[in-house]
Amino acid sequence: MTERENKTTDMKEERINALLDGELDNEQAERLKRDATSDQDLARSIIEAYQLQRAMEGIRVERAPASLRRKLRRIPRQQRPAWLQPAWVTAYAVVPLLVIAVALMQPREMRPRQPTAAEVAQARQDLAVAFAYIDQVSTRASGEIQSELAGEITDAVAGSVFRTVQDQKIL
Amino acid sequence: MKRYLIALCCALLALPAVAQEDALRDLPGYVDFGEMNSIYGEPRVNISIGGALLGFVSALASNEEPEAAAIFSKLKGVRISVYATGGDTAAALGQVNRVKNLLGAAQWSPVVQVNEEGEQVQIFMKMDGEVMDGLTLMAVDSEEAVFINVIGQIDPSELAHVMDRFKVKVNGDLEIN
Repeated sequence: MTERENKTTDMKEERINALLDGELDNEQAERLKRDATSDQDLARSIIEAYQLQRAMEGIRVERAPASLRRKLRRIPRQQRPAWLQPAWVTAYAVVPLLVIAVALMQPREMRPRQPTAAEVAQARQDLAVAFAYIDQVSTRASGEIQSELAGEITDAVAGSVFRTVQDQKIL
Repeated sequence: MKRYLIALCCALLALPAVAQEDALRDLPGYVDFGEMNSIYGEPRVNISIGGALLGFVSALASNEEPEAAAIFSKLKGVRISVYATGGDTAAALGQVNRVKNLLGAAQWSPVVQVNEEGEQVQIFMKMDGEVMDGLTLMAVDSEEAVFINVIGQIDPSELAHVMDRFKVKVNGDLEIN
């Protein structure tokens, strides 16, 4: 990734973080929304950021059991491998992951989740795009049919006229 | 360690998007168009909206756009993929023919079939008695390959009223009002 691309990505992330933190005023939020309609990557990043934020809000931080804490304190700090120091960090990390995994494995109808306003707005725009393509394909198909029928009718009429002329021996 | 945890979180969070598509697969109007990312790269447009989100969109639109809300309320899913073919239509046309055969075997009714040199337009409908289960549109030309699957009931005559309000252009740059 070039330096310029890195800067662009950083700016996008800053804007998305500001949106999630409620730091954007109405005008800035509207501008971001307009940019997202023409930039699919940006729209996708915003949606993923909202999803991540909701998932993190749902994490319950649980204290490690007392017995585990006592055992960990007994282990001299020098003997623990570097990636286990301090051990309670690992416990804190595993618990929310388990909570997220269990929550996501639940059947969809059991999850009391409502889409955010941003998701609904994005879905509305996606639907507009989908219907536009439906209209485009339908228009194209009807155009093809009309030109085909016009050709058939023209041939039929021309053929009929020719036969009439022949029958009448006009020419 | 921190990076590993973040990567794992992101992977787990991708599950809802997969779950939404999976939920649509069980519906009778669902059509699997297959995979073409390996041929044409990432699609220009890739949309998959499930019934729950459609319900919210319908509810929000009920006051300001009752006609659009009425259409959305009858839908169970909308999926669309648009690939830029860049003149290479062979793979897309092959995919259309493959899907066409699958739809025929699954008792979808052909509504429109246009076959020309290097171009195709196929429209299929799935009916369950008087009720429509789904609508499938596929169009391939030298510029793009469009695959649309609408699950649920849709009345094309109602679309015209809605399209005027959305004012979406899909030729060239995508503009939405």
